[in-house]
Amino acid sequence: MCLSDRGLFSGYTAGPFYDEMFSAQGCARSHYARLFEKLGVMAPTQFEDRRKHADLSFLLQGITFTVYSDGRGTERLFPFDLIPRILPQAEWARIEAGLSQRVVALNLFLQDVYGKQLILKDRKIPSSLVYSCRHFRREMIGLEVPHGIYTHVCGIDLVRDSSTGEFLVLEDNVRTPSGISYVLENRLVMTRTFPEAFQEHEVLPVNHYPAELSRILRTLSPRTDPDAQIVLLTPGIHNSAYFEHSFLAQQMGIELVEGRDLIVDGVVVYMKTIYGLKRVDVIYRRVDDDFLDPLCFRSDSMLGVPGLMGAYRAGNVALANTPGNGVADDKAIYAYVPTLIHYYLGEDPILRSVETYLCDRSDHLSHVLSNLPSLVVKSVGESGGYGMLMGPSAAHAEIEAFREKILADPRNFIAQPIVPLSVVPSYDSAARCMAGRHVDLRPYCLYDGQEVTIVPGGLTRVALQAGSLVVNSSQGGGSKDTWILRGEC
Amino acid sequence: MLSRIADSLFWLARYIGRAEDTARILDVTFHTLLEQAPQPHGVRWEPILSMAGEETLFRQLYTEPAAHNVFEFLAFNPDNPSSIMQCITKARENARTIRDRISREMWEDLNSLYLTLGRFDPQEETAAGPHRFCGRVIFGSHRFHGVSDATLPHDEGWDFLRVGWALERAEMTARLVDVQYRNLLALTSAGGTPDNHQWMAVLKSVGAYEAYHRQYHAPIDPARVAEMLILNPQHPRSIRFCVTEMQTSLRAISNTAPGSYANEAERLTGKVLERLRYSRIDEILDDGLHPYLTGLIHQFNTIGEVIARTYFYYAGVA
Repeated sequence: MCLSDRGLFSGYTAGPFYDEMFSAQGCARSHYARLFEKLGVMAPTQFEDRRKHADLSFLLQGITFTVYSDGRGTERLFPFDLIPRILPQAEWARIEAGLSQRVVALNLFLQDVYGKQLILKDRKIPSSLVYSCRHFRREMIGLEVPHGIYTHVCGIDLVRDSSTGEFLVLEDNVRTPSGISYVLENRLVMTRTFPEAFQEHEVLPVNHYPAELSRILRTLSPRTDPDAQIVLLTPGIHNSAYFEHSFLAQQMGIELVEGRDLIVDGVVVYMKTIYGLKRVDVIYRRVDDDFLDPLCFRSDSMLGVPGLMGAYRAGNVALANTPGNGVADDKAIYAYVPTLIHYYLGEDPILRSVETYLCDRSDHLSHVLSNLPSLVVKSVGESGGYGMLMGPSAAHAEIEAFREKILADPRNFIAQPIVPLSVVPSYDSAARCMAGRHVDLRPYCLYDGQEVTIVPGGLTRVALQAGSLVVNSSQGGGSKDTWILRGEC
Repeated sequence: MLSRIADSLFWLARYIGRAEDTARILDVTFHTLLEQAPQPHGVRWEPILSMAGEETLFRQLYTEPAAHNVFEFLAFNPDNPSSIMQCITKARENARTIRDRISREMWEDLNSLYLTLGRFDPQEETAAGPHRFCGRVIFGSHRFHGVSDATLPHDEGWDFLRVGWALERAEMTARLVDVQYRNLLALTSAGGTPDNHQWMAVLKSVGAYEAYHRQYHAPIDPARVAEMLILNPQHPRSIRFCVTEMQTSLRAISNTAPGSYANEAERLTGKVLERLRYSRIDEILDDGLHPYLTGLIHQFNTIGEVIARTYFYYAGVA
């Protein structure tokens, strides 16, 4: 089944990048063959109708994120592309094993850093690097956390390197990763928009995520009370991930609270209900460490709960994820994750990382400074695609400005070679045709201290601008449904 | 139930109720005036502005109370906090903060109403007259009631919605009767002739026109209109009906038996309701309708404040 004669794909060419749907010869890969057959016979107008239907469904459900750039807070749709990203189960199994290994190692690292610090004493990671992490929390040192779990929920970003076809880890998100609601909603909209495609494919389900998360949260409760009160703490309606917070709370049947709904009295956390105060046992918090408790962290926080950390310290309430996790997803620590896996598990990493230069190492720094136009430079404590320099597409002045920034604070920057990301055919609504667009993949990992559970697939983010490598929603990215096909290898 | 959620449900209902009431009054007034001989603007539109309680703001924003200005002001103007679009926007904001607690159907219904109304072009509508827009708002409010009734568990959240709806309606009906009665009687004493059409408009604006005729089988009479809108036990917009609703819901929230009260909000509501039950319209008119209605509006405000103090706010931990 090859490209040339197909209506919806007419004019599509497999470019210089790894195309997940088509081989270099322009033939559909075996796990995409049935979908290609289906879409190939579809008229562009039919496809366009379904696309509009899908968009409308997101709009009516109010699945939007808020953009503040225009000063008014405009609600925008997170663009959804109808062509699914498909991976065969065998390939997924390897990814799953690699992610589990990574999550367990990161959790052991956090236990160690906030506990005995053996890895620092053994000089496998420079102490100065750990202590200088922006999100290192000395308040967490020596504190025993429930069941020793730090990384309850992780989102680990993967990219497929076009030159080898191999999946690499691009970054870890172990603080408050978001996006899972899009995975679930994308699947729902997709089954409504293309029901016939699901009849012909055995796609592994994803909708057990909320139940699994709820189960893990329940195990953290300090009281054995079967009615343990679990809440989701949100910064509120103005947070860009607010939809996700309310979605998860609703799916798990737990209360969605803001800081002002909670109060700490006698080192116990309560929520304010119409019938008085009610004790809270577990908080799945989607508020950053900085804003959790004005008495402990930033004193100007209006989003947090004064005294929350005191109640946590006393063991009267559990928090997920654990404060201080940011030390494990610092972009400089990222370079040491293979070391962590060796150190704690005695294993080789299953998933490789992207080669990384640490600007505070003088040998790396000189390499970075002389190769800026070919590198991507990232600020270590940032996420969401902010604070980045994309060397190849940057203007000379921009590169020079970044050079100054790096020299002023080398610890704050790392650099990586540009990974030529794989592409998946995506609908270009302006040109009304299919075109290869770069994608990444963020699977969501849940850890209960024994086992890592990963819903098959994850969020495929797609850079909808031609040629763009930046997939973040804040920078014009969209998403796709991700299918893991049972039995496919 | 979290206090904040109860608070949001209460206000969600009030904002939708306010949008509907404004749409009704706007629509009916506009079309009644179409059938009448021209009069100076002031006489025609002032009552409707004072009912909305926004006369001062209107004067700051517009030079004359012409029909299209009043419509624009009450329907669309973002600087008017009571404009229909502002009410619907605030109702949706409230729903958004509690979308995990209301049914998915309620949220999607309200969101689609918001999106639909947002597509109306103020200039085009002002030229076309309020019927199309107001009709959509009224229908949207009714549909939201229906969707809520059919999809939300009838627990304390449902009762907070009902209290919000009932309190908003009771207050708006009181304002409507007060303003119209004064306005139309003043017209009479000044030698004018407020014909039946204007009293009909009052009834129509609360959807009580047909019910009035079934009830009285008689020509429209100001005292009967007042009786219908204040004391009727069955019409869903009469003050007595709304206060009965408030009492039922407040008791359901606190699980209180009939004949007693668990908090100040219930005590005040019960007191108001007893007076409504045992009053006759001629007594009310003899004592003065205006002071009577002003008194009621004042008590509704107090009840709103007391509900907030009882259920929504925390002074801190004792």
